[in-house]
Order: sequence, then C-alpha cells, then structure tokens
Amino acid sequence: MLASFRWLQELCPVDADVAEVARRISLAGLEVEAMERKGHDLSGVVIAEIRAKKPHPKRDDLTLVRVFDGENEHDVVCGASNVPDPGGRVLFARSGAVLPGGMQIAPRKVGGVESSGMICSEEELGIGADGEGIFVLDEDHRALPGTNAADALDLRDVILDISLTPNRPDCLGHVGIAREIGVLFGMPYSPRKAAGPRRAFLPEGAFRPGQPTTRLAPLWDSESDMVDSPKLPAISVEIVDGDRCPRYGAALVSGVEVGPSPFWLRYRLHNLGLRALSNVVDATNLILLEWGHPIHGFDLDRLRGSKVVVRLADEGEKTATLDGIERTFTSDDLLICDGEGPVAVAGVMGGLFSEIRDDTKHVLIECAYFDPRSIRRTSRRLGLHTDSSHRFERGVDPEAIPQVLASAASLIAELGGGAVAADAIDCVARAHRPASIRLRPERAARLLGTPVSKEESMRILESLGCRIVEHDGETIEAQTPSWRPDLTREVDLIEEVARVRGYDQIPTAMPRAHVSEAGTPGLLKLVDELRDAAVACGLYEAINYGFLSVEDLRRARVGADAVMLANPLSEERAVMRTSLLPGLTGAASRAQRHGATEVRLFEIARTFQPTGDVLPHEQTVLAINLAGHRPGWIGAEQAFDLYDGKGVIEAIIDRVFGRKPELVSGDLPSFMHPKRSGVVTLASEGVGFVGEIHPEVSDDLELIGRVIYAELDVPALHALSEKLGPPQARDLPKFPAVTRDIAMLVRDAFTAGEIADALQAASNGLAESVRLFDLYRGDQIPEGHRSLAFRVTYRDTSGTLTDKQVDKVHGSLAKVARDRFEATIR
Amino acid sequence: MAEPDAVRTFEDGLAQIRATFEQALRAAEDEPQLRLINARYVGPQGELTALLKLMPKLPGNRRRELGQAANALKQGIQQAFDETLDRIHRSARDAELTGPHLDLTLPGRWQMPGRLHPITRIRNDVLDIFVSMGFDVADGPEVELYENCFDKLGFPPDHPATDEHDTFFVDGDRPSDAPTVLLRTQTSTIQIREMMKRKPPLAIVSPGAVYRRDDDATHSPMFFQLEGFLVDQDVSFAELKGVLTLFLRRLFDEHVALRFRASYFPFVEPGGEVDMSCVFCRAWEQDRARTAACRVCKGTGWMEILGCGMIHPVVFENVGYDPEKYTGFAFGMGLDRIAMLKYGIPNIKLLYENDVRFLSQF
Repeated sequence: MLASFRWLQELCPVDADVAEVARRISLAGLEVEAMERKGHDLSGVVIAEIRAKKPHPKRDDLTLVRVFDGENEHDVVCGASNVPDPGGRVLFARSGAVLPGGMQIAPRKVGGVESSGMICSEEELGIGADGEGIFVLDEDHRALPGTNAADALDLRDVILDISLTPNRPDCLGHVGIAREIGVLFGMPYSPRKAAGPRRAFLPEGAFRPGQPTTRLAPLWDSESDMVDSPKLPAISVEIVDGDRCPRYGAALVSGVEVGPSPFWLRYRLHNLGLRALSNVVDATNLILLEWGHPIHGFDLDRLRGSKVVVRLADEGEKTATLDGIERTFTSDDLLICDGEGPVAVAGVMGGLFSEIRDDTKHVLIECAYFDPRSIRRTSRRLGLHTDSSHRFERGVDPEAIPQVLASAASLIAELGGGAVAADAIDCVARAHRPASIRLRPERAARLLGTPVSKEESMRILESLGCRIVEHDGETIEAQTPSWRPDLTREVDLIEEVARVRGYDQIPTAMPRAHVSEAGTPGLLKLVDELRDAAVACGLYEAINYGFLSVEDLRRARVGADAVMLANPLSEERAVMRTSLLPGLTGAASRAQRHGATEVRLFEIARTFQPTGDVLPHEQTVLAINLAGHRPGWIGAEQAFDLYDGKGVIEAIIDRVFGRKPELVSGDLPSFMHPKRSGVVTLASEGVGFVGEIHPEVSDDLELIGRVIYAELDVPALHALSEKLGPPQARDLPKFPAVTRDIAMLVRDAFTAGEIADALQAASNGLAESVRLFDLYRGDQIPEGHRSLAFRVTYRDTSGTLTDKQVDKVHGSLAKVARDRFEATIR
Repeated sequence: MAEPDAVRTFEDGLAQIRATFEQALRAAEDEPQLRLINARYVGPQGELTALLKLMPKLPGNRRRELGQAANALKQGIQQAFDETLDRIHRSARDAELTGPHLDLTLPGRWQMPGRLHPITRIRNDVLDIFVSMGFDVADGPEVELYENCFDKLGFPPDHPATDEHDTFFVDGDRPSDAPTVLLRTQTSTIQIREMMKRKPPLAIVSPGAVYRRDDDATHSPMFFQLEGFLVDQDVSFAELKGVLTLFLRRLFDEHVALRFRASYFPFVEPGGEVDMSCVFCRAWEQDRARTAACRVCKGTGWMEILGCGMIHPVVFENVGYDPEKYTGFAFGMGLDRIAMLKYGIPNIKLLYENDVRFLSQF
C-alpha cells in the first residue's frame, strides 16, 4: 500500500515529521518498507511565460520559443506540438538544472539554433505519465513566472510504502491509516465530511418505488443548489444472494462530462502508482485510495433495464471484463447484472459493456460489501487480483457505504459537472452486527507480563473506535468498530492494547527454568553424529532440493513410484526424490564440468516413498559421493575406488558405533556396479551399500571416470545402536605380543577376508589379529593369482609366548593356507 | 698343541691393530663408514676377531695374558667406536640445527578438510543456544496434511493470510474427500504435531526444510526454517522478549538491541516481528555515518530477523489444550537468511547449488 504523507496530514494533522510517523506506525504493525520523496528534486525548474514563438528555420517538428523565467528571457527550441500562445505558462528547466531522470540541462544547439534551457513535460519531470506534450498551466493558475515548480504546483510529498498484513483491511485507504496515526499520536481522528456537490436534485422517479434509500446530504459539509430532477428511467437494485452481498449502495450523478482530470488529481494518482484515465475513473480510484473501499461506476445509459441484480452466476455463464478478456464463471461466482446479463464480476472487475466511456452522461456509482471468502475464491479462480478484490477479500467497512457514496458522488460532480441525487439506494440484505468482546485487563496483564489497567485499556479501545458497552471491576465489554473485522475475541483486544502502547513498553523476563522430559530424539542426535563423522572423513556437506524431475529418477534408475506435485514450478522440480543419488551426483557432475579433480560430497536428507497412506514414508538417508582422485601428498594421482568408499563408511561407522562394518555381496540397487559394490552390514544386519556406480548409469548421469557412491540407512543404524548399546571396556593385554608374517600365492577365487578368517580360526585362539599388509600381482605371479601377505599378531592372555609355541602355531596356519586355499607359501 | 708362531702372530696382530685402530675409527666421517671400519676390526671377518680365533693355539702360559691384552684392545676399539659415533651424531645434529631450512612451503600431509554446509553450521549454533536453555529438538514430515499446515494453525479458510504461503500441493489419485496433502510451507506444523502428542510444559525447537512456490533472486523454492515454542501456565510476552533477546545476543553480538514490532501471523496473538540492530554497520556503536552508508540495513540501523508472538488460543483449542489454563509463545526464523547474514553470502541460490568451490569456504 502506497500512502501519500501529504494526504495523511490533511486527514490527521499530527505534529510529527514523516520519519517519526513512519517509525511509530511501523512499530504498531504498519510496516513502512520504503519512503520516497517526491517533488523535492526540481530546483532549477520554474514557471515561465511564453513571450513569443515561431517555426524553426530548418525543421518542421520544432518551434523556437522565447520564454520569460521571472528574471530573463531565454530562447528555447521545443519539440512539442502544444506550445501555448504568448501569455501561456509552462515549466521551464533552466540551464544547470538536473532533472529527476539525471538529465543535465545545458545550452546546446538544436537543428543549428542555440537553445538555452528546456520546456518540460510531466514525464520528464517525473510528475506524471504524460510525455506527449509539454506541461501547460491552467489559465486560472495564479503562479508567477520564476516561481519554483514544486511550490507553484504544490509537488512536495513523501510516499510511504507500507507492507500491510492481511488482517488490516482498514488501512488499505488513507482514511484508515490516518485513523491509526491519530490513535498512536493521541489525536482522535474524526472523519471529515465530503465537500458537498454544487448541484443536487431530489431523485423523484429516479428510483423504483419501494427501493430502500439513504439521504446523503447530512454527509456533506455544505448545502447544494437544488435543481430539477433529470428525466431518467427508474432504477432498482435487487440482491438475490444476501449472504454473498449483505449490502449494496448506489448513488447517481447526472449530466457528467467525461474529460481529463485536473493536475492535482493526476499527480496524486501518479505518485500512488495509478495511471490517470478520465475524471470519472480517476475519481473512483481516488475514493478507493482514500477510503480503502472499492467503488465502481456504471454508465447508466448502458445499464439495460435500468436495474442492478446481484446474483450467483450460472455454471458456464460468460462475459467480457474491462481488460477485454472473456471470462467463464462457475455457480460459486458472484455477478453484478443488469436487466439482461452480467455487467461486472462482483468485487473483482467491471465488465466491458457498461464501463464509463467518453460519452457517458449519467453515472451510477456502486459501493457494496461482499462476502470476503466469495470474492477471494472468484479472484483466485479467475487469476484476477485487482485493487478491488484485494480489499474485498480482506473485508471492507460495511458501515462506511453511505459516506463513501457521498464522497464519490460529490467528487465526480465536482470534476465532471452534473448534479448528484440527494438520496442514494441502500439495500441491506444482512445488517452488520458489531462483535461484542469481553476484555479482562488482568488476563491482558498476565499474557503480556506487565501491568495493564482497566482505565488505560478502555482509553485505548475507545480511541480505536470501540464502544464500551459496559464495564465492572474485572471486565470491559466492547463493541468493535465496523472497519476492524479482525477483532473477534479477547486476545485481539489484548493485542490492540499491547500494540498501541508499544511492544517496547513490555519488559523482558526469563521463563521459569525448564527441565526437558523427552530430550532430543536419538535419531536426530545420530544424524548429527553421522554428519560430524562424514566431515571428519573429509567430505563436504551438500543440500539439494527435495524435488527433482521424473527424468532425473529415470536416468538414475531409482524408484519411479514417487510423490508427484500437482503444481510444480517446472518439470525439473516436479516429483519428490526417492533417492539422494540424482541430487548428489548432479552436484558431482557439475563440479567435474568446472574442472574439479576431486569431489567428496555427502548429504543427509530425506527420501519420499509413496505408501498406501495419505502421507508418504520419509526416510532419512546418508549418501556419499566420491569422484576424481583421492587426496594424496605430492606424487602420482590415484582415482577413488571401492576401497575409498569402504574406508569412509568404515570410518564413519567406527567413529559413531565403535565397531567396524563388513562389506559383503548381496542385493544391490540397479544403479550400482554389480561386481564393484557391496552391501554394508553391521552386526550382520544390512545398513547400506557402497561401491562404483553402474557404468551405464554413470554415463547417463554424465559423470567422468569411476564414481563411488554409498548410502547408509539412518533409521536402521539408529535401531542397531539401541540394540548394540554403548561400547564396553576390555582388559588391556598383560603379556607381550609376537608378530609373524605369512606370504602366499593364491588364486583370485579366494578372498583375502576368508583366508584371514581361516588363519585366525586355525590359531587356536592365539592370533589376536590377522591383517593383510601386502597385495601383489605382477611379473612373477601367474595369471589369475595374487600374492597376499598377512601379518599375524599372536598373544596369549595367560602368559608370555615362547618362540617354539609361535613356530608351531604359525606352521599350522601355513598348512591351512596350503590345504584349504591351495596356496603356495612364499 | 701350542705353536710358538702363534704367539708371535698374535702379538704382532695386536700391535698392528693397536697402532692403527684409533686413527682409523676416529677418521670416519659418517655412521656407515664408521661401522665399516669397526667391522674391519671386530666384525665376523675382522682382524681382531681372526686373532681371537687363534686363542686355542696359544700356549697355556701366555693364553691368559694375551687374552687379557686382546680384550683390553677390544674395549679400546669399542670406546673409540662409541666416541666417534657420538661425535658423528652430534655433528649431524649440529649441522641440522645450523644448516639450511626445510622447505616449509611443501603441502602438508593428512590434508582431508571436510565441511559442514553453512545452513547446518548455523542450525547447530542456533540449536546449541536453545538446547542450553532447556528446549527439546523435534522433527516432522516435509510432506504434510493441509490441516496441520494451515487449518489447525488458525488460518481462516479462503483467507489472504495464505498468500504468503504459495503452496506446492501433492498430486493425488486419492479419493477427493481425503485431506489435501502439501509440502509444508513452515515448520510451525511441528507445533501442532508435538502439542497433539505431548502435554505442557513444553519447550521445543524444530529446524527443517520448507517449501514455497517462489523462485527468484531472493527466494528459493526450498529453504530452511527454525520454529520454537514454549507452553506452560502463565507464559508471558515479557518472557518471549527475554528468550529472544538472549538468543540473538548469543548468536550475533552481546550488544545487539532488539525492536519488537506488531505484526500478524494467524497462529500467534499478540504477534510481532523482531528487528535487530544491524550487525554489519554495528549500529549500537552509534556511528551514524557508517549506518547511513550501510547497504545491509539500508541506512535504518535495523534488520528484520524473525517473527514471533503468543500462541493464539485457537491453536490451543485445535490441539485440545485449555487456552484459559495454558499460554505460550512461538517464534520462527529463516536459517538461510541468518546464514547469509552471518557468512556474508550474497545470493540464496548459492546455498543449494552445492558448488564445491562454495561449500569448501565454510
């Protein structure tokens, strides 16, 4: 909501500068996001009088003009076609002036003729949208040549950009904001009456008999000349759906002449972001900005049957709106119709057919109250958000209708001439009932944590427009004003008291100490531990969007049965991920394209698996992605392989659980390499997988080289951690260990792990560990074989081992290697 | 059988060794050389070792005397060896201590830096503060029911309050009367879930991803919020102010001032927004020139940091708490925004592109 500070001051003349007003209303909930000064930067632009004009010697489209700027005469070349005759006054930028757009005025030659200064258009001065011709002052304007333009045209203003919360429809007009300022500055606002129209008539015969009317005259501040009633067909208003339209008022202005608006009005609309069109339309817009109440003008001559019917649309009914688009309605849309069909979408937009045109003579002004929910549904269904729907869907003031009609009719008559019907139609289908709310100041004090007196509460509520119905020692009963639909229960009034006093008046305190019963859930703690462990392994944490494209899922060969979005922003983000693979490898692929030589990423996030239930299953997963070469010291680079992935998984699990996982063959996702990946088990339970991405998938994902990917199932790990319990302390060894190495040549068919296990088993409990420390293939090794070297650590928990004991058991290990694994001991 | 020649050979050998060993050993320049020379005398093939092998051939009356002489010589050699070795070690150490410097610019080993995402870092910082104040941490689903995200939080039906929440809905081939499913637009859903599950007193914070249909220079369609709430008997707005003031001072700077402005969120009343004195121009230092030029706070000295308020009685009614008995406060903040403020991240998009060059900065 843009608001003119000048206008606010006219409505509520508080003694405070704009910064102070902005600060106070911001603290009270009307957040001023920006302030823009208008008409302050026009020094050097003055009123000048045309002294002479003649055609340019060389160019037909230019005029040579002599102007008097109050001090000197200047010869200026002007490109506009509307240069007035001598005596006319224009806005003249002297040499040296800088226009709001940044243009510096300096003497220059135009078409070979010296031009000193510039005669300006509205647009060039930033004071209007008209860039067609130069700005010419009205003949009756009293400004003398040499007067600063800002003074002469009264241009100075500050425009406040207020970010209004949706609970405050009352502040969607200047009257409401002025009222709020009055409350905050202790200066009760009293709505001013509209200036009365010069001419009014008694609308005898203009309204159909029985039509409920209201007298506007008391709402004007001056008497009008009564003229004869114009000959008009009798008008009627009928509300068919009183729930959707509780009240409908209509005023009549006859004998209007449609034309351009005066400068002050155009300037005000321009500053507030609206385009000036014609006096009647501009007047309705000004009233909207003043009262926050949208009104609509109908051309009475185009209102077929001279009647207005407010009803729901028939399913599929159509009409074209003001913007020229044909709209189709449902039976949930409220329409304003004439005797034959729709003329407006109630509260949203007028129809094309009955709009005000240049030849309009009689204007019927609509001012109504529509059900906010109804307007909102229609507005959203049509995708039509207008200044009007914005206000109606938040709730306008139903009781302001006569006052708004009086102001609107009077303004239109002032601008377009004509006479106003002294009575206006006022159909009330459902009377407004003010809410009656009980406020306990003691409750307010407890909720706010600061004393609140009954007297102060009453004073604040009354200043807001509440009527105190009754009060006793403990409670106040207040009726809320019709412009505050947001006040419906006690806590709303407590907020008003707190807000008007200022939240800064509330002290700070600390709550009673809390002792948490539940604590942080173990799963969340585990997630944090896993995250820290992954970072300790040298991985960078990634965060990807939860959604991706169907194509992403297909390319990655992950579950395509996914949660689909009904209204995605794009196909790229249309489904919820069923795997972290596409997101994480996407980041890796982008990094590779940037030339990153090593990518080490992890992510802990949720995947979404559809279930038979309403909500999907959300599964927390830790995913790891390694690509490129492993970080080493100086020297040859080596690509990441399965064992890097395995090492990271081992390190993470070891750090969190104090145990090593195993890697075994088993069922793998189809995006993993069938021979270069394995299932991660902890205490024999599957908790994830690690390995190379399937080469075909890797190609589809546009990854370079062998890329390592791993996932750990976080809830499964959590369940295991509960089962396994914390690590338990063991005795430290009392006797020394002896190490012996055993090297052997074996066929590839035997895994290092099974050989190590067998060696350990053969040691009669003396081998504390069997560790592979060398693996060799090469010249001396036959095809399909490899040389494995294990270091066996022997220790007897009951005494010091002798060489003889060790020799004996080590020999039996060699025998097992030969017999079971056909190994050649080297 | 004793051989008279053996005595001579032995004596000559001893004399020969005695005459040369000292000089030979002490001339060694390094340890390998020293060991080589030493081996020449006392190694398995050494001269002295060879002489000692002659011992059985010596006549009995000389054997003891000559044996002692040989042993004394062996000790002499050992001593010279030890002394020379010590000298060599010493001079090597001296050389290292006084000689050229190692190349300090070679890269370090064990170089495996990993990094938490900046949002995680901030989330951890924020959680640490609240957990230390006694708040529990809770979590809830990202795909949510409409009623948990809006209805139960007091959003009136067909109300513009939902305009701030441009919502992603889940496409359902489910019966039309089933509740509408959406991606949560706010972590306030966890208030509803936790309050329905537990009874007061409650103090909970819940960070998480939320989704809104905004995608432009300053909005990401997924972002992170942190919601907190406290419910008990007689909880007051003053306590809300106390907790948030302490929180922001601990997170940013002990000097920051707070400004509570009235605002509107359907699930709190009185509702407010909190502005904090700008931590970029350090507005509390009252350097007006610096504040005037500050682009972060646009010269105001204030930056909007979170939303808050007293939990609306309608929320308590919706979860089955008695609003006359219990009161509480709630607050919410954007972790992305705080991370951007704290780490000087210029563009929200950077947070979700996972560019390693970006991730490695935190």
